[in-house]
Order: sequence, then structure tokens, then C-alpha cells
Amino acid sequence: MSDWQPKILAILCNWCSYAGADLAGVSRLQYPPNIRVVRIPCSGRVDPLFIMKAFQTGYDGVLVSGCHPGDCHYLSGNYFARRKFAVIKPLMEFIGLEPDRLQFSWVSAGEGERFSEVVTKVTKDIQKIGPITKMVKGV
Amino acid sequence: MTKKGVKISLEKGLQNQIRDFFKKGLEKGVFDAVILPVRVPGKDSYAWILMNNAKLIDQANPVPPVMPVQGAKALKALTRKGNGIINVATIMRSCEIRAAIELSKLNQVNLEKITLVSYDCPGAVPMKGYNRIPEEMEKSFQNALAGKDFANDKMKEVCGICVDFANSPADLHFGFAGMENDGILFSNSDKGTAILDTLKMKCSEDDSQWKNSVNIIKEQKSKNRIEVYKSIQPEVEGLDNLQTTFAKCIGCHNCQSVCPICYCRQCYFDSSASKQTADYLQDKAKNRGGIGFPRDKIMFQVGRMAHMSLSCVSCGQCMDACPVDIPVAKIFSYVAAKTQDTFEYHAGTTADGAVPLKVYKQDELNKIHELIKNAEPQGSQHE
Repeated sequence: MSDWQPKILAILCNWCSYAGADLAGVSRLQYPPNIRVVRIPCSGRVDPLFIMKAFQTGYDGVLVSGCHPGDCHYLSGNYFARRKFAVIKPLMEFIGLEPDRLQFSWVSAGEGERFSEVVTKVTKDIQKIGPITKMVKGV
Repeated sequence: MTKKGVKISLEKGLQNQIRDFFKKGLEKGVFDAVILPVRVPGKDSYAWILMNNAKLIDQANPVPPVMPVQGAKALKALTRKGNGIINVATIMRSCEIRAAIELSKLNQVNLEKITLVSYDCPGAVPMKGYNRIPEEMEKSFQNALAGKDFANDKMKEVCGICVDFANSPADLHFGFAGMENDGILFSNSDKGTAILDTLKMKCSEDDSQWKNSVNIIKEQKSKNRIEVYKSIQPEVEGLDNLQTTFAKCIGCHNCQSVCPICYCRQCYFDSSASKQTADYLQDKAKNRGGIGFPRDKIMFQVGRMAHMSLSCVSCGQCMDACPVDIPVAKIFSYVAAKTQDTFEYHAGTTADGAVPLKVYKQDELNKIHELIKNAEPQGSQHE
């Protein structure tokens, strides 16, 4: 298991975090290759079900990243996203998934460096928790 | 804060008193039609009927022992495409009223021309017990109603832990808990007050006695609630336990189709998007050592928890409809308490305001903020 690498689904908002990831790329910043990126119009689009589905499919972690509060391209999408996160956390506890498998961050389009830091940190955290077995082994 | 209400005599029985009220209302034109439960010809169930003549009201049973169709669903069917031109009044259990309020916040029900009336609910008899021995159940319910017994063990399990049995934002409320031969009819809204005024009903009775007895019953029920939550926790918390509990699920989705809050025209789990190809499933089975059918038993419930638990009113319809007796309603009540607590929201108990996912404040949910900060690399400079 020593060569196990986590698979992390990164759901990034089109206007901030995705652009931040882009900037990290063109700036040739290093970050772990564990994330698989899905681009969405706004972090407010993230349905709790997307996240549960990711875990069920076998992702070890999920990172949702949007614009900083107040900077949303659609003015308030990330505030609604924050409310949805607040619903998902008790549900994760309820079904017995480590809450840390799901992480959120705010990264703006200019924060390429920050994006690489976030991904490094999240990858480390999920490496510590280990592979997801609960959702996967089940019926 | 004490309120004044109309003193009503219960000598003729609550049912008759309510019938009289609706007849009087129709006569004076405060509403043009009523929706009331009427016993079906087979005598083993009730159906909601929209009616406007006094003769039919005599056949109706305003406080039925069972809740075959959640009243909010009847209101949804009537007003989904907007209001008609007439005013309609209806009497329902607290959970039905609260579900209707939630649906109106979700734009699925239009309450503008609807007058909601409620009563101190002694609970509802489970449909499964009722349709086998309707006469016996009918009798025991009427006894519970007449004896003001709010902790009858013949009722649904979730009724035993319902703390809102007398608490709903209905326009008018018939209260009788802890009162001897009288009841009290009071208004909770401007609409209700206007109706009492037109009917020339004088609000002279103080509601403090009623309120006190309701609080005593409420306290007992919240104690039961904690007990039930404690007992259900080891059965359902954690994925392994959840899988054991739902192992017998037959995937009929009855719990979803009877749920008043589940209003989507098509559920993701019934759509073709949720169906997978044989290759995918065979591959999955190979990796896991086996997969079960029907698919998505747990995901379906988790999805429902994520989507509707914030508006769950714990009416217990899901448990009533479950053909394999999974305690769905208790599980949802338990989860709903957790998710609603996050927003300090109590589904359906206030008529104004919005559901939690429709509004936000700029500075809130500091716990979540903490979480977001945790996800950020230390020494991050942004602010």
C-alpha cells in the first residue's frame, strides 16, 4: 500500500478557482498530480449529491473551490454554496465518512500560487486518512 | 404572551363543532369551498374531497384517525398551477399544515386563497394497522380524541415524538388539550382574525390554560424524542449500520412518492441518468467482489436526506408506506434534526421567511468558515 496515491476530485468554479489553476499551470508551479478537475459555472452549482456520488465512485477525497466570499461572478453563488456545505457535513458524519475527505477553499483567479498550496495541503490530508473503503467495499 | 380565543363547547364533540364552523363559514361566505377528509365507501380509508355544500360536510370527518394522503399533497394538487378564483378552507394535522407551509416557501403550493385550520393532534393511526381492523381503530382513535390522550401507543411512532402537535402557523387553531368540556378557537394570522370577525365570534377566552397543558405534553414528548434518537443512533449511524438497516429495501421508492416535500417532477434516481451499463456494473462487481440489486439503495436515501431533510416535518408517511417496515421516518427525523439545527431552522413552524438554502447572510456559519480556513495552507496571506 506504500505506493498508494489518493484520487481527488477537484470541482472548480469557472471564474475564480479554475482560472487560478490555469495560472498555476502557466506559471509552472508544482502541485501533486492527484486531482481530477471538473469545471463548473459556479460553486453554487454543486449539489450535495455530486459529492456523495464521487465518494461512491471511489474518489478518496473531494475538493470544492470557488471565488472568495463577496467576489462571486454571479454575486451570491458562493454564499449559497457555503450553506450547502453546511448540510453535507452533518450528512457525512451521519454515514460515517471522515469529514476531512471533503474540503473547501476559496481561490481567486490571481492566486495561482495559493492553488498549488491548497492542492498540496489537501492531498497530504487525504493521504493521512488513507484510501476510501467505506463507500466502495459496500453493497 | 397570552392570546384571546373563542370559547367553544365540546359537548357535541369536536368533529361536530368543526363541521358547524365550516358550515357557518360557507353560509356567511368567508370561504367558498372546503377540503375535508371523507371516509371512502369501503370504510377502510379516507380521501380528501373539495366540496361546497352543507350536506356533504355532514358526511365528512374533519379529524380522521388516519392520514392516507398527506394534506399538503392535496393542496399541492389544487394550487400547483396557481390559485383559482374562490377561497378554500381546509382543516389538517399540524404536520400537514407545516408541510404545506414548506411547500409554499418552495413555490409548490399557493396559500393566498387557502385558509388553513388545525387542531391539537392526538396522532395518526398507522395505515397498515387501520385497514386491517378499521372499526376497532376508529373506536380507539375517537377515544383518544375524546379523552385528550396525546400519548397513545396505537399511533404512529413518530407521532409519539412529535413536539409540534399543537404548534403550526395555521390561520385558525382548535385547541382542547388539558381543557375539560370546552375548547378554544384562536387565530394565528390576520386572515384568521378577519374570519372570526366576520363570523362574529367573540375572542373572550384566555389561552393560558391550554398553553400550559400543551407545554407539559410537549416536554414529555421531547423527552421521548431524545430516547428514540438515542435508540435509533446505533442502528443507523455509520455506513455499515445503514446498509444493514436498508438491506431489506426493495427499491420501490414509496417513501419518496408519498413524501409531501419531495416535489421534483422527476427524481434523479428514477431518471435514466442514474442507470448504468452492464459493462460498468460488471466491472464494479469485479472490483468489489459483488454488487447488490436494486442499485443505489443507500445513495437514494442519502440523496433524499441532502435534498429534503431541511424541510422534513416528520409526518411519518414514508414509514407508513414502506412495505418492508424500515423505520424510514425515525431515521429522517433524526437526520432532519441535525441538518435543521445547523441553520437553527424548524421546518414549517413559521409562516414567513424562506427555506435555508434560498437565503444567506454574508457573515454566518462560522464553523464552516473555520473548516474553510483549515483547508487553507498555513500562513496564507489572503484576506
